[in-house]
Amino acid sequence: MIRSTRHAGFAVAALVLLLVALPHLLSQGLLNAAIQMLIAALFACAYNLLCGQAGMLSFGHAAYFGVGAFATIHAMKALGGAGLVPTPFLPLAGAAAGLAVGAAAGWFATKRSGTYFAMITLAIAELLHSLAPHLKGWFGGESGVSAMRMPAFGISFGSTTHVYYLTMAWVLACLAALYLYTRTPLGRLTLGLRENSHRLAFLGYDVHRVSVLVFALSAMFSGIAGGLQVVNNEAANYVLFDMQLSAAPVLHAFIGGVKVFLGPAIGAALMTFFGYAVSDLTQSWLLYQGILFVLIMMFMPDGLAGLWFRCAAWRARVGTLRAMPGLLAAISAALLLAAGTVFTVELLQRLFAQDYRALARAAVTQPWPSVHLFGRDWLPGAVETWLVPLALLAAAGVLAVIAKRMVRTMSYATEPRGVTASTTPLAQAGSST
Amino acid sequence: MDFIRTALGGAALCLFAGASAAAPVKIALIETLSGPQASAGLLYRAAVRYAVDGMNAEGGWNGEPVQLLEYDNQGGPTAAADKLKAAVAEGAQIVVQGASSAVGGQLTEDVRKHNIRNPGKEVVFINVGGEALELTGEKCHFHHFSFAGNAQVRTKALVNGMKSVQALGTRVYSMNQNYSWGQDMEKAISDQATNGGYQVVEKTLHDVNKIQDFAPYVAKISAAKADTVITGNWSNDLLLLMKATKAAGLKTRFGTMYLDQPGNLANGGDLALGHFVAQTFNVEAGGAQGERFAADFKAKTGQTPVAIQPQAVFGLWMVADALKRVKPEGGNLNVNAFARALESAKVRTPLGELGMRAADHQALLPIVVSTVAKDAKFKAEATDMGFKPVKVFGGEEAAAPAQSSCRMQRPA
Amino acid sequence: MDTFVVSLLNGAVYGLLLFMVSAGLTLIFGMMGVLNFAHASFYMLGAYFAYALEGTLGFWGALVASPFLVMGFGVAVERYFLRRVHHHGHAHELLLTFGLAFICAELIKLFFGNYPVNYRIPQAIDFAAFTVGSVGYPAYRVFMGGVALAMFGLMYLLLARTRVGIVVRSAIYKPRMVEALGHNVPVVFMGVFGVGAGLAGLAGAVAGAFYTTNPNMALELGAMVFVVVVVGGLGSLEGAMLASLLIGVVTSLAVSIDLSLADLLAHVGARDWAEAVGGLFTLKVSSLAATLPFALMLLVLLVRPGGLLGEKP
Repeated sequence: MIRSTRHAGFAVAALVLLLVALPHLLSQGLLNAAIQMLIAALFACAYNLLCGQAGMLSFGHAAYFGVGAFATIHAMKALGGAGLVPTPFLPLAGAAAGLAVGAAAGWFATKRSGTYFAMITLAIAELLHSLAPHLKGWFGGESGVSAMRMPAFGISFGSTTHVYYLTMAWVLACLAALYLYTRTPLGRLTLGLRENSHRLAFLGYDVHRVSVLVFALSAMFSGIAGGLQVVNNEAANYVLFDMQLSAAPVLHAFIGGVKVFLGPAIGAALMTFFGYAVSDLTQSWLLYQGILFVLIMMFMPDGLAGLWFRCAAWRARVGTLRAMPGLLAAISAALLLAAGTVFTVELLQRLFAQDYRALARAAVTQPWPSVHLFGRDWLPGAVETWLVPLALLAAAGVLAVIAKRMVRTMSYATEPRGVTASTTPLAQAGSST
Repeated sequence: MDFIRTALGGAALCLFAGASAAAPVKIALIETLSGPQASAGLLYRAAVRYAVDGMNAEGGWNGEPVQLLEYDNQGGPTAAADKLKAAVAEGAQIVVQGASSAVGGQLTEDVRKHNIRNPGKEVVFINVGGEALELTGEKCHFHHFSFAGNAQVRTKALVNGMKSVQALGTRVYSMNQNYSWGQDMEKAISDQATNGGYQVVEKTLHDVNKIQDFAPYVAKISAAKADTVITGNWSNDLLLLMKATKAAGLKTRFGTMYLDQPGNLANGGDLALGHFVAQTFNVEAGGAQGERFAADFKAKTGQTPVAIQPQAVFGLWMVADALKRVKPEGGNLNVNAFARALESAKVRTPLGELGMRAADHQALLPIVVSTVAKDAKFKAEATDMGFKPVKVFGGEEAAAPAQSSCRMQRPA
Repeated sequence: MDTFVVSLLNGAVYGLLLFMVSAGLTLIFGMMGVLNFAHASFYMLGAYFAYALEGTLGFWGALVASPFLVMGFGVAVERYFLRRVHHHGHAHELLLTFGLAFICAELIKLFFGNYPVNYRIPQAIDFAAFTVGSVGYPAYRVFMGGVALAMFGLMYLLLARTRVGIVVRSAIYKPRMVEALGHNVPVVFMGVFGVGAGLAGLAGAVAGAFYTTNPNMALELGAMVFVVVVVGGLGSLEGAMLASLLIGVVTSLAVSIDLSLADLLAHVGARDWAEAVGGLFTLKVSSLAATLPFALMLLVLLVRPGGLLGEKP
């Protein structure tokens, strides 16, 4: 697995090559999803600068994303629609707005810490969310502000492919900047903020100034993400300040793993794709998303990246051959659990739907008409209809117990910190002393 | 899933490359199917599914069934923009939406920009529910068609209807939500003052869907001594306003736009009796044809058509009428020819003839003004009350003039 | 004058309703440091359980039974979900409750549908208790206010005057010591969480009949409850009462104030300039009625983060 800087470098280079080649591999619809995944990844990494590295849990980051978005849309509309700067440089407007608002908000918010800090950021975001629909000049009311991308430097920016390359370039540049930031002394100071801000103060640093700087930087990159979103959609709406959008980077960061640099990016990409793919397949996709959140928070507290590293450590210790059965058992258990849950939820959803209930009331010959699911008709009264999900869930439970026994040694594994001594891009942003 | 669909589609295309493939018409429904506002979106979906099934029962288009692709815009304009791109990538040429004016505004702009950037591969937007005036005003364009009412049309009908049974009074309170629809309503209520013979005693714009306790607003209504409250409120805002008014014991009459949304009568109970609503359809007013339509709808979807569902169905009947008159060009649908055909489409609805106005692409909808009564012929939602029609206004009669802010550019 | 009195009364009752929901939240936070995003979902569950039981137990029976059901649900949540993530830190608990809120809302939509349900006040209590000027004041509102005040009284007495109350209060300050003294602190936590949830459920059962019972109830009330808890002071019951009354009355009275900053500036002769600038200056206080609580929350957080009656952080 990835253990040295060289391997990590190869992995990153391979990923970049894949991203460059993506337009040739995917349909336009999926390419658009890829753009959304990139933007979400940048937003989550910008958030992680504040949360995972500086240890300040903010609940209102949508404010800076939204402010960046609106600044960019106004820049796009400026000068009679020609745009204040050429199209590829438009996210700079988002950066500037994010930086300014972030510095102002951060100055107030970082005066407190812990839950109070989180509450202040929440209050700022909610205040903006409430005020925005009233300030029509800036936020355009509930239909928002819209503009059009202008061609620049010979590229028309009319097709999704052009926008994809622009987004990819910006996101890669920003992620590189964020990574290089972690290597600077200021980056180390940020970690100090998380570990022990008291000690920092005694070392002579002005903790409040450093906190404001980190907050402003995080807001700046969030503003860039907002600007990229606007360049893609050519419209900005006050719903960008909604609480859901504030909660998204928090969830993505924790699902991906806050201790690892690219963790939030992975979490964001996966969850955005999940939303994109599943929302058109089923009406209950929000329920699945909620269940996924809860399960990950309960059973994978250090996120997917943490899970990956623990698996790697365990595999390194017991050898690939001995690791296989446990891994297979765990993966099968997860798949069976998913299948059982999906079946149950879809069945229940159809049984309790209004049109089914009307049909059931109207049906005289058969009290419970059949339900069409996964290409087959199931009778709610029949035993096998309920046997299938029960069997799936029972099998999942059994396999989970087996997997747990096989992997028992995993609990003796050391933390990822001990495994990767050097700081690699896919490992944590910094090891503790 | 998309990947698989695309791959399979590509394989299928290769297989049929030899024959002159007749490409089926794809209609994309980009609706709010999940999240807080899903209740409205699901109604539209049922109506559109019913209409498309009807189209296919009559033979589809060009020998192929019409395909309905469904996308969930998750209640927001941002996701709607993404799903539009996905729909266009899958070959959809007609896009339908109705639940949200904000999403409608986003879609109409995105469709306009897409058409500018992709001449020859145009897409048309069928708006079956977004009632914001700007959609047929400053945001109007050739590839947008509105089959929904709007504040001007509904208010004019409501005022005339209530006046005809002397239910209006002389003091009217205008209570609306503080966003484009509510502001359109406020202006329409003021515009109709001379026609209705009333005076607008007070105007209020309140936060949308945030207020739990309408008692302060009821206090204002009482202080203004209003006879009637005309409001465009929907969902919670309407229900809570009416509950608060009844709780305070006020005897003001309500003239509403959305009282017939599902859940209102069941939750409100007797407090809804005697109030008025301007509907786009009423089963009783539709006569025998109306009853047949309602019965057929119920047989296929499990419930009688409610609120905005009939207007969506009639809109798609217009689309079907236009499709019948457009011949395929090279096996495909020429969207501009379709749009021109739609401009002159006419269908016979249970309430009268439905036509389209070419100047701003606003359909000329018949409007029914009804009151909630216990002696209505059709009861709503398992209660003992229903909507009894008071007056029916034909399409031309109910229409409001085209807005001067609409400067439509027509393709050559 | 009538309007003022009615607005004041309405604001007080709305504030008392907010108190019923936020009392549980502030206790839970004070005890466990968990900011429970799912608390508003308990409120919604209370209303739906009462609606579901109304058929079999009647309105009053359902009103009594529903809070106990929600309490059971709250205890289960604490025992099987929150306890697992407790040692991972506050962020994980927060996100877990966030996911739970999602799940609750979606399950309600699954079983009860997307539209408001027919949960109404029984005819027996649907009359006007007294009249203020020309407007009648509904008896049910007085009932709601009464329930909230009774709840406050009971909670206060429970915490201040009983042995259980002493154990709970000391578990808030020094859980380890209390454990060392032999009390079962995890059971105390579970109990507090359950009681908090039960209180929110009672609020839902009572208010759901008066307002609407729909799947978006949690979203509608959620943000306001947080404002109350923060303004009152995290962990303080009296603070929650004071803050909820304050916010209820402010929101209620703001609706009748049609002034804006431009009117204020008229005193210094700058009205025309303010109106030309537009934007923030021409916003009327009445259209900002729902925004004021957030401004108040921000102000309190900046000036006195412990809240009005909470302790200094």
